[in-house]
Amino acid sequence: MTLVVGFPPGKDDWSPIELGATLARSVGTDLLVVSVVPTVWPTPVAGGTDREYEVWAEQHGAAAVAEANAILAEVCPDVAAVVRWTPGRSIASTLLEQAEEIEAGMIVVGSGSTGSYGRVHPGSIGDWLLHSSHIPVAVATHDYVGSEHGRLRRVSCAFRGDDRSLQTMERTAAICADIGASLRLVTFAVRGRTVYTAGVGVQAEDVVLDRWVDQATAAQAEALRLLKESENAPSEVDSVVSTGRSWGAAIDRLDWDRDEVLVVGSSSASVIERIFLGSNASKILRHSPVPVVVVP
Amino acid sequence: MSVTLSEQLTRKKPMAVKKGPHEGPDLERSFGTFQLTMFGVGATVGTGIFFVLQEAVPDAGPAVILSFLIAGLAAGLSALCYAELASAIPVSGSTYSYAYHALGELVAMGIAACVLLEYGVAASAVAVGWSGYFNELLDQTIGVTIPESLSYSPIPYDGTNGLINLPAIVLVALCTMLLIRGASESARVNTVMVLIKLSVLVLFIAIGLTAFQADRFDNFWASGSAGISAAAGTIFFSFIGLDAVSTAGEEVRNPQKALPRAIIGALVIVVTIYVLVAVAGVGAQPIDEFSSPEQESAGLSVILENITGSATPGTILAAGAVISIFSVTLVTLYGQTRILFAMGRDRMLPDKFAEVSPRTLTPVFNTIVVGVVVAIIAGFVPSDYLWDTVSIGTLIAFSTVAIGVLVLRRTQPDLERPFKVPGYPVTPLLTVAACVYVLSGLAAITWVIFGVWLAAVMAFYFLWGRHHSRLNSGLPIGEDA
Repeated sequence: MTLVVGFPPGKDDWSPIELGATLARSVGTDLLVVSVVPTVWPTPVAGGTDREYEVWAEQHGAAAVAEANAILAEVCPDVAAVVRWTPGRSIASTLLEQAEEIEAGMIVVGSGSTGSYGRVHPGSIGDWLLHSSHIPVAVATHDYVGSEHGRLRRVSCAFRGDDRSLQTMERTAAICADIGASLRLVTFAVRGRTVYTAGVGVQAEDVVLDRWVDQATAAQAEALRLLKESENAPSEVDSVVSTGRSWGAAIDRLDWDRDEVLVVGSSSASVIERIFLGSNASKILRHSPVPVVVVP
Repeated sequence: MSVTLSEQLTRKKPMAVKKGPHEGPDLERSFGTFQLTMFGVGATVGTGIFFVLQEAVPDAGPAVILSFLIAGLAAGLSALCYAELASAIPVSGSTYSYAYHALGELVAMGIAACVLLEYGVAASAVAVGWSGYFNELLDQTIGVTIPESLSYSPIPYDGTNGLINLPAIVLVALCTMLLIRGASESARVNTVMVLIKLSVLVLFIAIGLTAFQADRFDNFWASGSAGISAAAGTIFFSFIGLDAVSTAGEEVRNPQKALPRAIIGALVIVVTIYVLVAVAGVGAQPIDEFSSPEQESAGLSVILENITGSATPGTILAAGAVISIFSVTLVTLYGQTRILFAMGRDRMLPDKFAEVSPRTLTPVFNTIVVGVVVAIIAGFVPSDYLWDTVSIGTLIAFSTVAIGVLVLRRTQPDLERPFKVPGYPVTPLLTVAACVYVLSGLAAITWVIFGVWLAAVMAFYFLWGRHHSRLNSGLPIGEDA
């Protein structure tokens, strides 16, 4: 169950390796750090330019490997890791191929360089994976730094009470039980804006929100009951419903641990068993202050 | 625990202890007089003014202006009475919720029947009106019209009939989808629409007055009192929305001052706009042209076209109408779903109506039911049959509210009332009188439709709601709806 870490060379982005290290340490597995370099044009008789390009790509890859090795040595000398570069036409699909080849447990990527610090902001690669990978994808927050020899202490699981999120919860719970982390079921209750002019009172949406909180609390209680009955319940299980006027507010209202990840299920819009990030999930993702793991 | 029937019918939903708002400062909005006035204008203008002249002018002739004033007076008085009830009872909701707290379960169910007519049928009627303007817009911009068989209802009216009003159904479906996706999106859309509505009406007035001929107001009294009251009944629906100000009472700084000012201010602005539209319209063309078939569907736009001889102003108006009527349909549908939601919470309707979908955090089942019913009405019934039904529902609900104010002053004189209706007891009595006068103008068929509907709701209540009401089971009352 090796974890594949996508490492962008030359971008000074340590976050995927940092997150990969925390996860690998928690689960007790190793890392395969992959840097994808542009592939050579597949001409049968390569001309001078093509050969020159090939040499450049090799150098580029070697530099990336050296860079990654240096970071690994500094961040997580305790985690077994293999670093390799590989040519590919698309970084995201190459990462996925590599992960498939070794039957990896997860693909770990960073947040790109555009989003705000401490937030998850999947770049183009993360985005591609979040809409097509059939292997769980972990996205680090922008400039994520794990704690020293950090392991996951708590895993939050975004839960909305339908069958799909029950599945996600069961799988998350099993992993939590394995790695000795506590599990927290999190349901977000986002208040819609009341249409004042409808004449049904200025708090019509509060009533809807209240009902949703009731529904969510009941669904959580039921889920926790199911969980307690199963064998692989984590030792510590908790649940919370967080309300807010926006997804951001509801997410910020919760306390978050430094060694915590948030697990989000994928939308049922995908036909086959693979990730397709739904609209709510992507809102959660974008506001999360901790790394997010999206599971199919 | 057995309760007698009369206890059941008169039991009132107890006031729940008011929970604090869900979060801190950002929820504490407080309206001042000005905001509240603008909010009333936004909620009211556009509900009916785009369609009402074609319905009302043939009834009353030039005296339609008086009908506007009478309907406005009834609406304003009702809004004042409603404001007292709304401020005295610290819950949020429609007339239904207030009645349940103040007047008991049976009256609440009766009001619910009225309010469901008001919202449900108004949404259908507005969608039918939208269909007319949409066709007009298509015709004037790309020269294509949807064939009559697909844009008129199968019930014949004024010689036009088709198979199904497809544009109206599509509009309702679109609004339903937007509501399912989430109310936040819908509220944002709404603000822009209000501005569009107002500018389009100002355009109509400005151009309409250029063709003004005073002799069009000859024979002012020709239709007599009966015609005026009949027109007032039809016009009344275009003042629906003013009551939205009343329900905002608890968010208002100094309600005793701000509420009447805002209600009267909004009323004055709305009446002025409406009367100007009526004056511009009546002054611009002979009375009998209002009932011509081509004005039936996109009235104001056709008037502009006739005045200027150019398609442009009419096209602009039709475009504005198409956009803004969309928002009216949306808001009306929204109101309908939230009223059913409140009823579902009280278990006067199956709990399914108060179920929130985990995917969208909106009451999806409820919204789909409303969408389907409204779409069916909009697709198969001509709007002319609908408007009066909207008016009757609203008028009876408001009369009941006014009576409720009188009753509560008697039965609970010590109840704290942040806003007291000025001129008590004359104002509530006058409200009832004004509503009854407007009601007297409505056609017999409207009363029959209303009677049948009320009977159906009552039958549902006696057979189902009475036994399932949340008040039966001692279930927690929860936050009020």
